[in-house]
Amino acid sequence: MNVVYKHILRFIVLTFLQALIFNQLNIGFGIHLMIQPLFIMLLPFELGVIPIMGLAFLMGLIIDIFSNTYGLNASALVLMAYLRPVVFKFYGPREGYDPLKEPTAHDMGTRWFSTVFGILLALHTFWYFLIEIFEFSRFFFILQKTILSGGLSFLLALLIQSFLLNRNQKK
Amino acid sequence: MRNLIAFLQRFRIFLVFALLQILAISWYVSYLNFPRSQYLTTTNDISIQVLEWEHDLTKHFNLSKNNTQLQWENIYWRKRQPKFMYQISRGKYKIEDTVFEQQYTYIPAEVINSSVTRRNNYFTINVGKLQGIKKGMGVFCHEGVVGVIHYASDHYSLVKTVLTKDINIDVSIQMKKSDLPGLLKWDGRNPRYGMITGINNDLRIKKWSKVVTRGGSGIFPKGLPVGKVSYTEPIEGQALWKVEILFSADYRSLQRVYIIKNLHLEEQEALEAQIPADEE
Repeated sequence: MNVVYKHILRFIVLTFLQALIFNQLNIGFGIHLMIQPLFIMLLPFELGVIPIMGLAFLMGLIIDIFSNTYGLNASALVLMAYLRPVVFKFYGPREGYDPLKEPTAHDMGTRWFSTVFGILLALHTFWYFLIEIFEFSRFFFILQKTILSGGLSFLLALLIQSFLLNRNQKK
Repeated sequence: MRNLIAFLQRFRIFLVFALLQILAISWYVSYLNFPRSQYLTTTNDISIQVLEWEHDLTKHFNLSKNNTQLQWENIYWRKRQPKFMYQISRGKYKIEDTVFEQQYTYIPAEVINSSVTRRNNYFTINVGKLQGIKKGMGVFCHEGVVGVIHYASDHYSLVKTVLTKDINIDVSIQMKKSDLPGLLKWDGRNPRYGMITGINNDLRIKKWSKVVTRGGSGIFPKGLPVGKVSYTEPIEGQALWKVEILFSADYRSLQRVYIIKNLHLEEQEALEAQIPADEE
């Protein structure tokens, strides 16, 4: 499958999964599942930061429209896109990334993926709840929401990623 | 000039980042108070169409519960209908009522999209400007208060529910001797529990005393149920109670709501506009 089509398909599938299913789920304990960071994570290594931020903004805005958050998701996703190259550089191999590989658990190893994606997801989720709640006196509440939602979103992302990957390998 | 261009080139990633962040956060902050257009909300044409399709699939999930509720509501009103009551004095009086006049009318609506887990939760409902919905009208369901209209497009509107940061509905706690007025708030934790602020702690509040709307601002009629007091605690250093209430409505599975139209609202607003402004 062509790389561009693959990413467009991921964009559409993940956006609508988030907007129509995970937004409506009510698990309790204030948990809000978010899988849109997975799309930003899985974009190719060689793509520049500015296009990634543009895509993040667009995707965030679509999800915002479906959940009446008016720019909150866009802000969190743009932050994640901005920090992605920084974290990638920090955890990358010394000679740079192989352009033929993709930033997935399959290509780069589960350990690398869970470290990098875990850091990015934690930053994204923390920023999201920080802006949403916006009361610094309730820092521990923000932290609690970040840990619960971020942890579950992380497991969900691993699960979804293994689905997507398996399908890609068969084709 | 060359320095400026070199500066822009060096920091262009950060500048794009800052620009997008400022755009997103300023939209977020301004739409929380004054939504200017429908494009960033669920009431725009494309998203409402998709959400309608989704609603067509999911609306059956709570059907039997909602039907039972409607049945109970029917029984409640049926019991109060004069024509079904046993008449004790027959044919003696003919009542032409000039004492009571209708003040509120109600518009029924269906909830298309809802959320309860965020800090600010909005419901999208399927009535809009064409049905006479305006910003600021009250919304309630059979069991209790739901919220206030935040934005109305032609066919749909957005309800700012009591599960938002600055909802501030004026409510009162019903006590034996007098009612205690306060403001309803939500702290973002649990969609079943809310808070009331501004209650002086000179009176003891009984647990499970009823909380109803006060009807002062003309948005809600007096006495709509809101919830019951579940927990009180004195706030340190202030002569106030911290009051937690259990909402009487379960907003997680809400499907049918009513919008309140106050027929006297214009009169009340015209009257209150006569109050001279404070001159400093």
